[in-house]
Amino acid sequence: MADKDHSATDDVALVRAAQQGDMGAFEELVARHRDKIYARAYSMMRNEDEAIDLSQEAWVKGWQRLVQFQGDSSFTTWMTRITINLCLDQLRRKKRHRTESIEEMDEESGGVERQLPVVTVNPTERLERAELRVRIDRALSQLSAAHRTVMVLHEFEQMEYKAIARTMNCSIGTVMSRLFYARRKMAALLQDLQRPE
Amino acid sequence: MKQDLQLKLQAYLDGELPAGEGKTIAALVARDADARAMLAELTHTRSALAGFESDIKLPETREFYWSKIAREIQRQETKSPERTAVSSFFFLRRLAVPSGVMFALLLGVLVVKQQLGFDRRVAVVETDTAQVDAGTFTYHDFASGTTLVWLSYPAEKEFAESGSADTISWE
Repeated sequence: MADKDHSATDDVALVRAAQQGDMGAFEELVARHRDKIYARAYSMMRNEDEAIDLSQEAWVKGWQRLVQFQGDSSFTTWMTRITINLCLDQLRRKKRHRTESIEEMDEESGGVERQLPVVTVNPTERLERAELRVRIDRALSQLSAAHRTVMVLHEFEQMEYKAIARTMNCSIGTVMSRLFYARRKMAALLQDLQRPE
Repeated sequence: MKQDLQLKLQAYLDGELPAGEGKTIAALVARDADARAMLAELTHTRSALAGFESDIKLPETREFYWSKIAREIQRQETKSPERTAVSSFFFLRRLAVPSGVMFALLLGVLVVKQQLGFDRRVAVVETDTAQVDAGTFTYHDFASGTTLVWLSYPAEKEFAESGSADTISWE
């Protein structure tokens, strides 16, 4: 538990204190940004337990590498990148343990998403925010890990194609086609979900 | 619509096209209904996802979540001295290997020297003999226990003193 109340201290000062070994300051940083870090892990992994474990691992790594943090980006951006890297490592480990899926083969050859008719009506227009969240959540779960990762890095992390390619160790062309198919599939899935039963 | 054009439309939406190409795509969207529809679909998907993550909340309490992090940090920090001890062991082991090799080599050289008969005693005998008389040559065979000494004859000094020289053999 923290000995001192850090709630009024800003992130920069908390980081500086944590770099000096103040665990209380670090605990405050965890408390402030835990939802964001967990959300990123969950977006990528689509599994609550795994997301909790990976986000906690990210915080432990963050503490251990805190001296390396120079403040070039915000602390949350830095922590988010650690989380993304841990999730990517975990996804790579999983991929090594399973055979190539049809989706991944499709991804190289063009995929069915290219041939899908264009969704002309905005499928999310009349949905309540909570309902929309559930539907997007379900649709994201139906994407392959490769498609979803590109989508998360681009839409949520606001990374450019080039940065995504570097992070995922692939070409910019691959990033562009993965993102395109992911978006098309999301559009199709959201449209299907909107259809009355 | 060709794949290349689809990807360009997407890059246009994401602001990843060079300015010149951006104008070309904008013109295409203005005159082509398919391109317009595709762009609209991509835009809708993108806006549907906006702010999605901000609704995701950690399903654990602050205290419980932090307790696991704190425990792991402490566990890893207490592990560090063990790591140092292990490192020292490996460092010593690294030193021990070349030392052992050096020792074995030295031992080997000594054994070979012994086998070939490069014995210190021979050198001593020869050196001593040479010091006694520069004109004397000695050969010692340890196997048979025989030493042979050749003396120059007539030795200049000894000739003058004794007038005789001899070859001596002893066991």
